[in-house]
Amino acid sequence: MSWTVPLVRASQRVSSVGANFLCLKMALCPRQAARIPLKGAWRFTSVSKMATVKSELIERFTSEEPVHHSKVSIIGTGSVGMACAISILLKGLIDELALVDLDEGKLKGETMDLQHGSSFTKMPNIVCSKDYFVTANSNLVIITAGARQEKGETRLNLVQRNVALFKLMISNIVQHSPHCKLIIVSNPVDILSYVAWKLSAFPKNRVIGSGCNLDTARFRFLIGQKLGIHSESCHGWILGEHGDSSVPVWSGVNIAGVPLKDLNSDIGTDKDPEQWKNVHEEVIATAYEIIKMKGYTSWAIGLSVADLTESILKNLRRTHPVSTIIKGLYGIDEEVFLSIPCILGENGITHLIKIKLTPEEEARLKKSAKTLWEIQKELKI
Amino acid sequence: MFSVVNPMKLHYAYQVLQMSTVKEQLIEKLIEDDKNSQCKITIVGTGAVGMACAISILLKDLADELALVDVASDKLKGEMMDLQHGSLFFSTSKITSGKDYSVSANSRIVIVTAGARQQEGETRLDLVQRNVTIMKSIIPAIVHYSPDCKILVVSNPDSARFRYLIGEKLGVHSTSCHGWIIGEHGDSSVPLWSGVNVAGVALKTLDPKLGTDSDKEHWENIHKQVIQSAYEIIKLKGYTSWAIGLSVMDLVGSILKNLRRVHPVSTMVKGLYGIKEEIFLSIPCVLGRNGVSDVVKINLNSEEEALFKKSAETLWNIQKDLVF
Repeated sequence: MSWTVPLVRASQRVSSVGANFLCLKMALCPRQAARIPLKGAWRFTSVSKMATVKSELIERFTSEEPVHHSKVSIIGTGSVGMACAISILLKGLIDELALVDLDEGKLKGETMDLQHGSSFTKMPNIVCSKDYFVTANSNLVIITAGARQEKGETRLNLVQRNVALFKLMISNIVQHSPHCKLIIVSNPVDILSYVAWKLSAFPKNRVIGSGCNLDTARFRFLIGQKLGIHSESCHGWILGEHGDSSVPVWSGVNIAGVPLKDLNSDIGTDKDPEQWKNVHEEVIATAYEIIKMKGYTSWAIGLSVADLTESILKNLRRTHPVSTIIKGLYGIDEEVFLSIPCILGENGITHLIKIKLTPEEEARLKKSAKTLWEIQKELKI
Repeated sequence: MFSVVNPMKLHYAYQVLQMSTVKEQLIEKLIEDDKNSQCKITIVGTGAVGMACAISILLKDLADELALVDVASDKLKGEMMDLQHGSLFFSTSKITSGKDYSVSANSRIVIVTAGARQQEGETRLDLVQRNVTIMKSIIPAIVHYSPDCKILVVSNPDSARFRYLIGEKLGVHSTSCHGWIIGEHGDSSVPLWSGVNVAGVALKTLDPKLGTDSDKEHWENIHKQVIQSAYEIIKLKGYTSWAIGLSVMDLVGSILKNLRRVHPVSTMVKGLYGIKEEIFLSIPCVLGRNGVSDVVKINLNSEEEALFKKSAETLWNIQKDLVF
C-alpha cells in the first residue's frame, strides 16, 4: 500500500485519479489500479475482457477516500527507529506509518518485513521512501536519524555530525507536515531539540525532545529492583540534561505517596549509608554498558518513545520528563532545552509542572544550561 | 534521658537504627514471594529474530517471565538489560538470561531461533548440516530443564506473506484473505489455490485458471513472490526479523491461551497423504495448550498432492544423509 509515485504527489488523498478504470478503453493494468508498486511501471492492456478476480469479487461502494487521523513518520530506520516502529505498531496506536531513510535498500527491506507481519499488527498502511513527501500529513514525526554514539564517545561529541543532517531533514518535514509534532530522539537530544526548534520555526509546544524519559524509566526500574516492586509503582523523576549530567530529584522519589526521603533523609547524598545515589549513577553507566555489550541500545528507547506517542495521539495529558525550552525557569537565561515534567497531549507540550528543586538541583540545571549553550552558540544554524 | 544509659547500649541502638534500610521502613512483608512463574517463555538465540520474538511477546503481555539464552555472553547481557530498562512499559516482571540452559527451567514454551544465518543466495537446505550441530547443543539441554515444554522452531512465515500479498492485490486486509501454503517451507512450498477465499468466496470459482500458468492475471506470481521475499529482504537489510517475530507471537498466543486456532505449522506428517517417511511439513494444525493437538484434513487435488509428496521426498533425501 504505498502511495509513493510522483502521480500522487499532487494530492495525497486521491485514489484511482478519480477515474473508474473499467470504463476506459485503454486501461492501466488492473492489478495495479489500486496500489502502485514502489518501482512499478505503468502497463497497458486492451480492455476487451477486463474482468479480473477483484472486479468479480468486489463491488466498490464509495468513492470517499479514507482520511488518516493518526499518521506517524519515523525518520531513520536504524535500530532505534525500528524499535520505535515495532513498539508503536504493537500498541496499535496508528493507522499509517511512513519510514524515511537515506539507505534505500535497508529502508525497503525493513518496510517489507513490517508489511509481511501486518496480519499480526492489524496495520497495513506502511509506506516508505527516501523522499519526504511520503511523510505528508503526519500527526507526529519521530526523528531518530543521526550518527550512532560510538563506544566511549560522549553525547556532546556527536553534535556537529548531526546538525548538518538536521538542516535537510527539518525543512523537508515542515514542508509536508506543517502542523505536526516533532519528537527528537537523536543524540545529543537536548541540543538537537533546540536545533530542530530553530530550524522548524514551530511553536515550542510542538517540539519535544525524548530527553530524560528513558533515564527516568531506567531509574524507576532500578529503584523497583532494589525494593522488589514493579517500576510502575515506583515514582521518581530524572530531569535536566539527558545523560551524564542528569539530575535525580530525590525529594520526589516515592512509593504509594511515601517519600523515601522521609525514611532516609540522607538519600542521594554521599552520607547515605545505603548509597542510593549509586542508583542514579547506574542509570548513566548502563547506557554505555549496553552499547559496549550489544553495540547500541534500542528496545528501551523504542518503548519509551511509543509511550510518548501514545500520550500525544490519544491526548492523554499524562506527565512525562521530556526536553523542552527552559529559558525563564529556574533562573536560566539561555535558550536551551532541558527535561522537566511536561503534560503531553494532542498539541504536544501543553503545560509544565512547576516542580520545586533544591538549590543544589537548580544549580546543576543551570550548569547544564551553560554547557549546552557553550556548544549551541558555536553552531551555524 | 540518654545520659544515664549504658554507652554500649546506646551504641547498639544506633547500630540498629543504622541498619534499618529504606525498604525495611517502607515495606512490611506478609508472605514469601511466590517465585514460580505461571507462563515462562525461553528464547534461544538473541539475534535479530530472537529479539523480534522477544519484543513482540513482551508487548502482547503473553508471559510473566522471559528467559534469553545465547552463546555470545556480552550480546546476551546487553539485550537483556535493554529489555529490562523498558519494564515500565510492559507487564513481564522477570527477564533473565544466561549461557547455561538452567535459566530456561520450567518454561511453558521454548522458542529456538538460534542457528546459522541464511546467507545471500544460500538455499535453506544448504544450511542444514550447519544447523544440526547447533541443535545438538540446544535441544537436549532444553528438554532436560523443561521436559513438559512446547518447542517452537522458527522460520519465515510463508502463509502470512501469501495472505498479505493477496490482500494487496485485492485491496482487502490480509486477515480477511484466507489462503494456505503447506508442505516444505520455502522453495518447494505448495500454495493451495483451491482454498484461497474472501468471505467464503473461493477465488478459483471466479477464475478457474487461478494459480496456473495460463492465468491472465498471473496469480501464481504471488506464490513466487512469497518465496522470493525472504531472499529479497535479506539482500536489502541483511536478514528478516519483524514478520517472523510477529508470527511467532501469534503462535505463542494460540498455545498459551489454548485458543485452538488453526495455523500452518510444520509437524510430523508420517502417515498422512501417503507419506511414509518421518518428516516435518507444514499443514493446518490446531494449536492449543498441548501444542499441536489436531490436524485439519484438507482435500488436495492430484497436482497439489504430488507437489506435497515431492516436498516430502526432497526433505527425506537430505534428512537421511544427516549426521546426528
